Amino acid sequence: MRISRGVVSAVPEDYGPNPAEPIIRLNDVHKVYGSGEDEVRALQGISLTLDPGDYVAIMGPSGSGKSTLMHILGCLDVPTEGEYVLAGTPISQMSARKLARERNKRVGFVFQSFNLLPRANLARNVELPLLYAGVGRAERRERALSALRKVGLGERAKALPSQLSGGQRQRVAIARALVNDPSIVLADEPTGNLDSKTGQEILALFGELHEQGHTVILVTHDPNVASRAGKIIRIVDGKVANGAAS
Amino acid sequence: MSRRFLAHLGVPRVRESILDGLADVRAHKLRTFLQTLGVILGVASLVAVQGLVDSGRRQATKFFDEFGGLTKILVVNRPSKEILVTAQQLASHGLTWSDAQAIRQEIPNATLVDPIASEELSIRYGDYERRNDVTGATPDYSAVYKFYPAKGRFLIQDDMASQARVCVLGDTAARRYFGNEDPVGRILTIGEVGFRVVGVMNRKEFYFGEGDHNALEWMNEQTFIPLTSLYARFTGDDRKRVQYINVIVDKVENNPKAAAAIRALVRRRHAGITDFEVINRAERLKQRAEQNQVFDTVFLVSGIVSLLVGGIVIMNIMLASFRERIREVGVRKALGASGIDIAMQFLVESILVTVIGGTVGLGLGVVFAQIISSLVGQPAVITPQMAVIGVSASVTVGLVFGLYPAIKASRLNPVEALRYE
Repeated sequence: MRISRGVVSAVPEDYGPNPAEPIIRLNDVHKVYGSGEDEVRALQGISLTLDPGDYVAIMGPSGSGKSTLMHILGCLDVPTEGEYVLAGTPISQMSARKLARERNKRVGFVFQSFNLLPRANLARNVELPLLYAGVGRAERRERALSALRKVGLGERAKALPSQLSGGQRQRVAIARALVNDPSIVLADEPTGNLDSKTGQEILALFGELHEQGHTVILVTHDPNVASRAGKIIRIVDGKVANGAAS
Repeated sequence: MSRRFLAHLGVPRVRESILDGLADVRAHKLRTFLQTLGVILGVASLVAVQGLVDSGRRQATKFFDEFGGLTKILVVNRPSKEILVTAQQLASHGLTWSDAQAIRQEIPNATLVDPIASEELSIRYGDYERRNDVTGATPDYSAVYKFYPAKGRFLIQDDMASQARVCVLGDTAARRYFGNEDPVGRILTIGEVGFRVVGVMNRKEFYFGEGDHNALEWMNEQTFIPLTSLYARFTGDDRKRVQYINVIVDKVENNPKAAAAIRALVRRRHAGITDFEVINRAERLKQRAEQNQVFDTVFLVSGIVSLLVGGIVIMNIMLASFRERIREVGVRKALGASGIDIAMQFLVESILVTVIGGTVGLGLGVVFAQIISSLVGQPAVITPQMAVIGVSASVTVGLVFGLYPAIKASRLNPVEALRYE
């Protein structure tokens, strides 16, 4: 039975069949774009394992393949080769439709440019993942308001994104990422569009999420951001360049 | 449809898509207006045509209803066009009273049979005298024409049998001869013979448009005497010829069958020659509608063409504004929207736009119909059908022309869509 709980304060329940099981397991994952002379080998055999509750930063220069890795971790794309298991579910060979469902259920995205829908108020923005999960209207509204309260924006539910500061927008995006109790929170340069003070606040929020038991993955090129995480995975030329991977 | 299947199609998301669409419409008022213009005009012209066609049909049916309705079949004299005339054909003298009797006896679907002959005679009351047509009719006439006496009675079977010297007047005729006096019981001199007035008919009126003349005034002008009296006292016609025979059939569906049977019967009685014509009124109305169809078709086609153009405009604008929505599609997909969810959203939005256009077009079409009808002096009919036509046409346009952008959006790769600037 699925129990609806408070968002930020709760530990995500969806750990897969066995709590000892890793939340993420990548086994020799390759990703190749194009073919022939245009062939780009973005990922060249990445293997890594993350446990529930991990706080991880994925670092690497641009072109290193960290974006590709993030897309695969976020179920936006599937590997050309290799195996990806997310919370006990093999993702590698999924159809687009099933992939969309996994994404909806297991991944909360936070983007650099917030990516809120400009004409929808905050509550409707935060509700979106629940909408696609098929949650009823009343429950959607309730859970969205609860998520907004957790990021300190409960009073602004009716406001439009354009009426908010950058930091506030990113808080809304975090509320949206958490509203469906995902297995992992995947943040792509979440402080990239923010001034350093606001960036610190957002990073503090991710720290809180981690303390509450959420699995948080930050994708960044900024060492100061990465230093907040418990583990750093460096990607160079489509490969893991440090020992963080198992 | 099962709930799961509806959920699979993204139907539960329709409400949200409508809200998104409305927000989009509000944000782009001019764009929406341009998008819907074609649909507005298309629906308006479809609705206007429907209104006018319907109004025309109703008017014609109502008019015919005033004197016999659609179940009436008319048998009239029509001299043979053949040049070489045989002796047999010369022996035929057109429709007669006995043809009418034969129809009454042999056509089972004929409920009323009313042969009519008329003669121009002088009519006098007191100092007032004029020549006028006098109609020799039978008691069935009243029921055939749904024409009933306001005072006194109509002709009855006894009058026929006794070739009575009685007459019944139409409203205008009664006023002409008797002014404000009550004509019933008074004697009217017809062709030097005194006829007692036994009834005055109800007034018949029908106006096709405002300010038009009364299309049924000829009925009010009538002076009726028994058909037998007409033969006996004025024409002295042994053959008892009639000008035409009205036949009322029990049901409209039986009209064609009865018309064919009457044609065969009378032809047989006329030694195999067709010196008469059988006019089936329902058939007439259909022919008339067919003639009008050219006009209707022109309007219909122009309506459809502007709907098509409207649809193309909508698709064009949707595709032009597609770029600014690519990122939105990427975000929605990242949050778990499937391709079908996205397609449904785009379709709902395009249908929303066309339904807005269709609603405005509906209103405009009603106004068009009113204006045109006031120009041609025919009342416009506003029916629920118009709303059905307007809404279904606009939904169809939205569906058809929204499909391509919807499919295109649904197929966007989320990674590329998210990266799109």
